[in-house]
Amino acid sequence: MPETARTETHELLEIRRLTAGYGPLRVLHEVDLTVKAGERIGLVGLNGHGKSTLFRAITHLVGWQQGSIRLDGREIGGTRSLGAGRRTSGIVRLGVAMAPQGDAIFPGLTVRQHLDCGAYPRTAWRERRTRRERILEIFPPLRALQDSLVGKLSGGERRMVSLGRMLMVEAELYLIDEPSLGLAPKISRAVMDAVWSLPTEGRAMIIAEQNVSLLSGRVDRIIGMHAGRMRGEVGHVALS
Amino acid sequence: MDLSTLVYGLNLAAIYGLMAIGISILWSSVGMINMAHGATFAVSGYAAWLASTAMKPVIAAAFGKTLLASLATAGVVVGVALIAGALMGALIYLLAFLPIHDKPNFAVRSLIVTLAINIATVQALLFFFGPRSRGLPKIFGFGRLEIFGVSIRYDQAGTILCTAVLLLVVLEWLRHSRKGLEICAMMQNPEGAALSGVSVRFTALPIMMVTGALAGMAAALLSQTIFVSPTAGAIPLIKGLTIALLGGLGSVPGAVLGALLIGFLEAFTGVIPFLGQRYVMFIQFAFIITVLVIRPRGLGGLLDDTRE
Repeated sequence: MPETARTETHELLEIRRLTAGYGPLRVLHEVDLTVKAGERIGLVGLNGHGKSTLFRAITHLVGWQQGSIRLDGREIGGTRSLGAGRRTSGIVRLGVAMAPQGDAIFPGLTVRQHLDCGAYPRTAWRERRTRRERILEIFPPLRALQDSLVGKLSGGERRMVSLGRMLMVEAELYLIDEPSLGLAPKISRAVMDAVWSLPTEGRAMIIAEQNVSLLSGRVDRIIGMHAGRMRGEVGHVALS
Repeated sequence: MDLSTLVYGLNLAAIYGLMAIGISILWSSVGMINMAHGATFAVSGYAAWLASTAMKPVIAAAFGKTLLASLATAGVVVGVALIAGALMGALIYLLAFLPIHDKPNFAVRSLIVTLAINIATVQALLFFFGPRSRGLPKIFGFGRLEIFGVSIRYDQAGTILCTAVLLLVVLEWLRHSRKGLEICAMMQNPEGAALSGVSVRFTALPIMMVTGALAGMAAALLSQTIFVSPTAGAIPLIKGLTIALLGGLGSVPGAVLGALLIGFLEAFTGVIPFLGQRYVMFIQFAFIITVLVIRPRGLGGLLDDTRE
């Protein structure tokens, strides 16, 4: 269990019978998941088994979905076939922040500008300097790189920028998709340490990972995912 | 061939660049090829003509034939063209973006809708103003100036200077303002921008108004050389689109470089004795096709490679 004190335990995210996919391809099949405020959840599974699609469905980056997604009791799921990403900004403003797999970066912006992008919602914009300072404390290597173009950074630095941008959004639910993917072990550990240092009071965090060892002992629950379906908690149900 | 050909090429590049940058920014941020950009050009030209005609007696009564009168006329022509372009951009937003932006295949749908707006606008202009061309007042006056032994017409110097200043203002606004940051984020990574809370629905309006204003400025400047007519936007639209493609859709530096190359190519093709003006389009398209065959990502891709 993480050492962070739990202050709230209400159900922050409730997903019921969520089916989602890309065009005619259904990737998620009737997924159910409940996340309480203050929880850190690890989501494990092989490549292509729906971890990223689940995150993308929650943030409406998947064009088609059916079922229910409730954030703090408010329905944010959609059954209409909207263009992918068209409702994403609204979901972010409701309190969901996501660091997608790989480098979701703006290569032509500086690190400072990139972080400020995360503070785009109006209330966060006014506090962007304070927030940026907080991010630089979590990721110290970024302090000296504030005026560097993000496109010229190394893989680990880019990942820090991507996570930093996510953290600039004052969210209730953080979705972090494979933060260690493609990084050297040492860099990967540094990035994961930064992730574990994030405060979760009143908030929840879901971290998708293929490497279970990076999660064990650091999250409240580890849930397995296989072929687009939830396979229960690791330790209780074996992964296929 | 003399150095004045270079100035002519730069003059053309300035006007084409204003069109191409607008098309390029709109495509990379909103995902829309605006075929109504030519209509925006024509409407802005007519708006500037109407305003300058209406204001002529007022300006003459207030300032006579002094320098102030010329400045006031220039202000009316440029100001009204910019405002008309921006308003036309807002109209295109309402008609071709807002109703369909969240539908699948938005890129194709918007292409068809903006093409329809373009055709309808040209027909409306023909209906209201007839096919006769109209001349805008010469906002830079008549005459020439000598710079390093090169004779430059006032309108050429004015066009190059105005374009440079306007582009600088737009680029600085993109770089340093909050709205500019939002647009840059959308241009570079639409998904990342959405995940940062940037709404394409609300950002598209200022983008379309700014790109419309750029087309309006192009209309005011090009109308110093050619007349305003309902179909006046067709050639700038074609040139703007092809230059945006040549530059690599979405790359502002690529569009600037593409505009310079096409401007100089047009100027030099026109003065080569065995080619001349009739081969200008042929040479331009042959050049663009060759570049795109070798570099499918256009010149923007080449610039990105160099930067990396």
